[in-house]
Amino acid sequence: MTENTADTAPDLDRLRAGAPPRNHDARTIAALTANPGCARRGVLDAAGVDKDAVARHLGFGTPFGQSQFALARGNAFEAQVKADGCAELLTLLRDRLGLAVAEVFYDDLAVEDGESREARHARTRRLLARALDSAEGTLFDHPMLRLDIAGHPAYLEPDVIAFQLGGRFHVVEIKSFAVVDGQAEPEQVAAAARQAAVYVLALRRLVAELGHDPARVAHEIFLVCPEDFSNRPSATPVDVRPQLAVLERQLARLTRVRDILADLPPDLSFALDEGLGDAVRAVGARYAPECVSGCEMAYFCRDEARACGATGVLGRGVRDDLGGVDTVGAALALARGTAEPPAELAETAALLRTAARLRREALGGAA
Amino acid sequence: MSPDLPPAGVEALRTAVRRAVAAGDRTDARRLRAELRAAERARDAAAPPPEHVPRVPLRERVHRVLALIGVPAAPKLVGAVHHAFLDGPGLSVPRPADLRRAEERAFRSAPDARPYYVCAALTADALTPARGLLALSTWPPETRMIGPRSARTDFLTAAVRVAEHAARLGPDRAERLLRRFAANIPGAAAGGVGTVDAAALAEAARAELAVHAAADARDRARAARRAAARLDAAGLLFGARPAPDRTHGVAR
Repeated sequence: MTENTADTAPDLDRLRAGAPPRNHDARTIAALTANPGCARRGVLDAAGVDKDAVARHLGFGTPFGQSQFALARGNAFEAQVKADGCAELLTLLRDRLGLAVAEVFYDDLAVEDGESREARHARTRRLLARALDSAEGTLFDHPMLRLDIAGHPAYLEPDVIAFQLGGRFHVVEIKSFAVVDGQAEPEQVAAAARQAAVYVLALRRLVAELGHDPARVAHEIFLVCPEDFSNRPSATPVDVRPQLAVLERQLARLTRVRDILADLPPDLSFALDEGLGDAVRAVGARYAPECVSGCEMAYFCRDEARACGATGVLGRGVRDDLGGVDTVGAALALARGTAEPPAELAETAALLRTAARLRREALGGAA
Repeated sequence: MSPDLPPAGVEALRTAVRRAVAAGDRTDARRLRAELRAAERARDAAAPPPEHVPRVPLRERVHRVLALIGVPAAPKLVGAVHHAFLDGPGLSVPRPADLRRAEERAFRSAPDARPYYVCAALTADALTPARGLLALSTWPPETRMIGPRSARTDFLTAAVRVAEHAARLGPDRAERLLRRFAANIPGAAAGGVGTVDAAALAEAARAELAVHAAADARDRARAARRAAARLDAAGLLFGARPAPDRTHGVAR
């Protein structure tokens, strides 16, 4: 924890109005990278506010979670691959990467329920330290990792395996979407890569804390998915360097959440009472249609953005093209020539007018 | 009887009755109803009376399987082996920790009152119960220690024991189980496609076992000595108690 973040912690606690901080997981941390410009999400996440509860209180609860069927399928596939000391995974790694027969070490770092996260993290550290020193150890299942998010330690219990090969660690992420003919759905792969990047980063921090070179954690992860239309697992290497870069930038930005806090009313809190709506509106959002798939607040923000005619509602591309013009009304006024553009928007206004003229001509004066 | 009916199927007759009633065909409906009643009577007479099956307790069934494979095993493997070799209803141990807790209570209230207990396997480094594994109290302590190589050696040992047992009973008893083992042991599926030779499987498993056995036995013996020095009788069987969680839930 740095000095910089230590003194924001009381402010962040106040924002939660006494509620315990919500745990981050790889999914939420990965989502932080999806919309870096959103101050609302930044503040709510940094403070560990239960966004789902906030959105529900405001009447914009998300109508569905992750599909039960998808969850069950994912769990079944993972259990199959990991059964009997990761027997299937070992076979796969032996076939694909030429893992030596003697390399069969398997440490399950998860224990029966009831052990504290600190104790489990300590055990992960102990076993990984031993593995780093001796280069002994092959598979480490369920490592308990820790990542500082805005000054709060977030424990990550990944369903991944840290896999050591030739003194280097790789993250193995097991996903249940199919790889057909070597192709998988790009969105799914991207989401998996974002999550895996979180684990790579957390693992690198741990390795650095243990006094070793963080580069011993490879930026290449292995994605284990069902192959074609079977249940047979296949392993695909994925380079997560771009995701890592975005993530590191985002986390650095999160710890500077103090700058955002400085501009907010000093008595702001997200307690679940009648003042909640105003409190949330006090923090600027940056809505885009993609938010719906990754943020609990999306429906609230969409409603707000539509009500004030923000250009973001039309998609990120439109918003970026109309840089500086914030509302649909303003854009229309510029296009019709009813509003005089300030000097810095002259270029955008000219483009809008040209577009309006083309549209008129195309419609033959009908519009 | 109308031609599209399968012979005397009660369900099919019921459908036919419904269809006849819906079509307003009273004579047909009456005739079909009589047939349905006759078919139901015949079925009830044919069904064996609910005989008294002596229910073998879960712990006893788990004991039989574990005694057969001789190493700590996950409930899934226990269920598969039970299904392959032991007659009777299927076996599922949905929550192995619950079974172990019940056994632990029994042990603590009257130590060594039972001939055996279904107990935990212990992690070699922390001596806490290894997740999701079942073991037997009658085994030597080192068998119940799980070192870093033990998951693999136990898998291979189980493969050898299952293959040998299958060879004694005849080849097709455990086809599926053998295939599952063979798919993940190098050189085990050398025979024809789709079939597994139990002897070849056992041989391949022994060959890989030879690579790991010595080092694994050393790790386990060392852990067993530490456990004997640190834990009481109940702890030796059911593991050191993990430190309780004082914080909020765990992020998954």
